[in-house]
Amino acid sequence: MSDNMRNNVRDNMGHMNNQLTQEMRDLARELLASGEVKGLFGWTKGSRWYLTPPVFITKPEEADRLCYDEFAVNNLTGLLLDFRDSQDKIAVFVKGCDSRGIVRLVQDNQLKRENIVVIGVPCPGMGDKGAVTDHRQAQELPLLAKCLECRYPNPVLADRTIGAVTVTTEPSAAPSGATAEAAKGRGVGSKEADRFAQVEAIEKMSPDERYAFWQAQNKKCIRCYACRNICPACNCRECIFDSDKKNWVNKAATPTDNAFFGITRAMHVAGRCVECGECERVCPMDIPIMAMNRKLIGDLNELFGPYDAGVKADEKPPLGAFKLDDPEEFM
Amino acid sequence: MKAFPKDKLTAVLDTLAKQATLWVPAIVAGVSRFAPYGPGREVQLGANTVMSPKEALFPATEKIYEYSAYGIDGEFTPVDPSVGPQILFGLRSCDMQGILCLDDVFLTRGYVDDYYAKKREEATLVTLGCVTPGPDCFCYAMGVNPAEHAASDAQLFDLGDAYGIVARTAKGEALVSALETAGLLSESDKAPLPTGDFVLKVDAEGITEKLQHMFDHPLWDAFSRKCLNCGACAYICPTCHCFDISDKKRNAHCGIKIKCWDTCMYSEYALMAGGHNPRPSKKERVRQRFMHKLRYFPERYGKLQCTGCGRCIAKCPVNLEITDVIQQVREAKIDG
Ligand code: SF4
Ligand code: SF4
Ligand code: SF4
Ligand code: SF4
Repeated sequence: MSDNMRNNVRDNMGHMNNQLTQEMRDLARELLASGEVKGLFGWTKGSRWYLTPPVFITKPEEADRLCYDEFAVNNLTGLLLDFRDSQDKIAVFVKGCDSRGIVRLVQDNQLKRENIVVIGVPCPGMGDKGAVTDHRQAQELPLLAKCLECRYPNPVLADRTIGAVTVTTEPSAAPSGATAEAAKGRGVGSKEADRFAQVEAIEKMSPDERYAFWQAQNKKCIRCYACRNICPACNCRECIFDSDKKNWVNKAATPTDNAFFGITRAMHVAGRCVECGECERVCPMDIPIMAMNRKLIGDLNELFGPYDAGVKADEKPPLGAFKLDDPEEFM
Repeated sequence: MKAFPKDKLTAVLDTLAKQATLWVPAIVAGVSRFAPYGPGREVQLGANTVMSPKEALFPATEKIYEYSAYGIDGEFTPVDPSVGPQILFGLRSCDMQGILCLDDVFLTRGYVDDYYAKKREEATLVTLGCVTPGPDCFCYAMGVNPAEHAASDAQLFDLGDAYGIVARTAKGEALVSALETAGLLSESDKAPLPTGDFVLKVDAEGITEKLQHMFDHPLWDAFSRKCLNCGACAYICPTCHCFDISDKKRNAHCGIKIKCWDTCMYSEYALMAGGHNPRPSKKERVRQRFMHKLRYFPERYGKLQCTGCGRCIAKCPVNLEITDVIQQVREAKIDG
């Protein structure tokens, strides 16, 4: 789309996020004009009303491209990995869930905290574009499952904020800031207690049913690695799935090899998954990846006590630290 | 034209399934794709599929041969590339066009890929004219006619309460006469429903020539900033055809050689022995994707390597739309 068409789409939106978008642009312009940051990740209006994809800007005059609404679903933090070897200071906008990705990347020594300017935004809850029935007209959409289950609607850390959002590491704090009423009205966090419902349903299956369920899923995986590449916890410089030379893994997209991929990835992000739900959102084959992540989160909670990854930067992840009273069930 | 009522679709599919492996657009474990027809198959002709039908002719993973090697004693057993007769039913024009792109790559210019050639030869392709373009469709802009495709073996038309069918080749005639013998066809004078409006607009006129001057344009930097370099776009695309040959080892001595989908989006794709990578960053990889589709392929084969099916637009995690790329390339200024 040309900028012109983009503007048209955006202007047609005309709703509560105009104010926030303005604040976003002002702050971005200030940060870029003063030279405080070299570049900035935000969202822009896409070609249709239900699309608000990521954008990277480097000049103050590009700030007007920024836009924020209930389709700014992408967690932008993983994109910062392109700057892990750079000394450039980069700014990034974060919703509550996204902000945990920053903690993750800093804890994993992938980013230097001082090289990132984190800008917290209030979140109205994100609309589910899968529910679009008439793509020609704007319509009220249900919230994404991850937003219904959200426990951190407010940023857990931020250097700057817009829309009067409060920064808090308190789980289940009420949504704050300019979109707080909208978020509450739409039900953000209203199903947080159901986070493990899918895990429980799968655990109730007989072993044969459960095997059949996962086989059907594993059969679907096309090994596109979208789940891995968007994930702020999947940040290894060299992923074992990028090389078959060592013969741990091969490229065949068979149910067994795909299961090996899915389980390995889940285990590798165990204790570090920040529950942004991006892996599942981007999977073109609709594989219920979060069920696996949540299974491990549940197990970790049980074994090591309640733990939410990517919330407190100074807290060691349960699998990244050793304590004398750690359980040793399988030893 | 000859036609069968829509409520006879199952009888038609049952009849065709007796002749060959019949691939139909269906919902499989929640995802729409082409899959062999059989009992309980949830057929879905109303919308384009998430996965393109290329997997019927060019599977994601394919055995090429089995080998064993003990010392100097080596042996290999080739795998027969034939899968027997197949009918691909309900392809859209964009998918048919995608198969023409695969034909160019696998069957022309001196090297014929036996694994593809055999399957292609054994396949009968039945296309279906589009009535309602999806939100991400733009085939019209890529020179593809959504209403019908001249290269298919038989063409289906939506006549409202019936499907019209027209054979275009000998294979198509055999298929139509099989339906006739089964007593499923009758004459209809209804006209095919017209194709509705496209939502996504783009003009690709002159894109190849423009790109010839844009290898070093800063636009590629901008596009690559949000790209994840995942392979979703390539794997669901009807025209992407890259593969990699590797092993599935049983042990140190024997195993299977396999041919698996690969994509220029991946960092190891262009990695050379010795460690040099001519496409070291996302910028070069993103550029390759769009240059290949819109410039190199047309230069080599005289047609765009994008059929406007819109699959990559629908599934790209960061909404890097090829239509947007085309538009921005058109608007880009070229120095000098
Ligand atoms: S995104 Fe989905 S299909 Fe792609 S590799 Fe991950 S699980 Fe497999
Ligand atoms: S595994 Fe999924 S939910 Fe967890 S951090 Fe990665 S993308 Fe987010
Ligand atoms: S590039 Fe995208 S729109 Fe074009 S044929 Fe491939 S999947 Fe379809
Ligand atoms: S775009 Fe990339 S993956 Fe697709 S055919 Fe071209 S080089 Fe291969």
